Amino acid sequence: MLFGGALEAQFRVLHALMLRETRTRFGVHQLGYLWALIEPLMWIATFYLLFMFIDRRLPPGIGMFSFLTTGLIPFMLFRQTLTQAMNAISANQALLFYPMIRPLDLVLARMGLEVATLLAVFIIILGFNALYVGELSVQKPLQVLGGLFLAGLLGTGLGLLSTSLSTFIPAVLRVVPLVLRPMIWISGVWFTANELPTGVRDIMMWNPLLQITELLRDGWYSQYTAHDLDLAYVAAWILIPTYFGLVLERLARRRLELG
Amino acid sequence: MIELKHVCKSYPVGDRINQVLDDISVTLPVDRNIGILGRNGQGKSTLLRVIAGILTPDSGEVIRHTRVSWPIGFGGGFAGSLTGEENCRFVARIYDEDVDEVCRFALDFSELGSYFYMPIKTYSAGMRARLAFALSMAIDFEVYLIDEITAVGDKPFQQKCRSAFAERRKRASVFIVSHNMQTIRQYAEECGVLTNGKLTLYPSVDEAADRYEAL
Repeated sequence: MLFGGALEAQFRVLHALMLRETRTRFGVHQLGYLWALIEPLMWIATFYLLFMFIDRRLPPGIGMFSFLTTGLIPFMLFRQTLTQAMNAISANQALLFYPMIRPLDLVLARMGLEVATLLAVFIIILGFNALYVGELSVQKPLQVLGGLFLAGLLGTGLGLLSTSLSTFIPAVLRVVPLVLRPMIWISGVWFTANELPTGVRDIMMWNPLLQITELLRDGWYSQYTAHDLDLAYVAAWILIPTYFGLVLERLARRRLELG
Repeated sequence: MIELKHVCKSYPVGDRINQVLDDISVTLPVDRNIGILGRNGQGKSTLLRVIAGILTPDSGEVIRHTRVSWPIGFGGGFAGSLTGEENCRFVARIYDEDVDEVCRFALDFSELGSYFYMPIKTYSAGMRARLAFALSMAIDFEVYLIDEITAVGDKPFQQKCRSAFAERRKRASVFIVSHNMQTIRQYAEECGVLTNGKLTLYPSVDEAADRYEAL
């Protein structure tokens, strides 16, 4: 088959899978999409109240809503793509019945849906913020967009690795959610790296998700400049798990067929 | 035609390895109906799934020059939480067929009525099988892979399946695996025998039948 034809077939499969995932994830009613907005809004409300209670002051020029949204959405992108990618194959194993569907397609379709959904949520919340609070300062839109995609890729790569590993070590599926739990507290959702004491910051910046959040806020605000950004380090966290995830998937496929 | 080149497939059974397909190289014509005879556990379903592309061979390759169906007869590939219609839409999309056309055909042929718009998990086994058969008829395959012939639905529906299939066989051919000689005689013009991981094709069904009897 010609390369163009193969590419077209690939897109057709991914498109069909994404439509199907939308159906299973958000339910039959169109209202189901509202659920995608509810979780981030609940988190924002929680942190908002918490900040008022402890009288937390943000650096000058930084609004509360935009601050929380720019921290929360990359975190959710990371968490969602990771858990969705991790369970993509076991949830859809019946679909491997169709020869044109490969395990990797299942993972990519879920990543596509999560990125599209949370990108829309990001735009909706910050759009309302711009309209009603009058705060909009997208300094470097491409950097913001890049940060969001990196968060999605980071989650997908680790999810791919987890799902492949879990064929050999089933406990992985139980351990990953436990490791994920503290991530919301250490990834810059409620703080910026610049607010941390230098010694603490040096340690915290080993967290690739904090790197991404910093990158995103650096792109969003003119008043905020991130230090110690290391994109090569973030890229390694994406490429290495993706590579081993794909290699292990080849080995895992035989086991999946047996099951 | 469908070419198999040095196809091997094995499964671990306990601490042994069961070589189900052992270096099979064969060219299957698609202008004739082909039957494969094999006793239970000789790898008929594995062969069918390798040809369909669901299973990857351990080594060797399968080259399909035609549009091959999924194995008809074991009703996998449906998502229980989605409705019959949604499942049909999905399959139509991945096979690049007209979505509305496929749905109309499947609804009409399966006689599911309003159940077509209900989640598959509410279906009985018979309804599921009816939908699976209807869907395979809704898509224009050039070769239909059939795993045994299992009777689907009641008498009138079976009659309908037979006539739809007879109609389809003017344009498409059949590749059927079975342990039952009657079934093979009914469908196949050329026949092979699968035993001990080896596949041998014979020019006539009678010759294959004699060989199969002698096993």
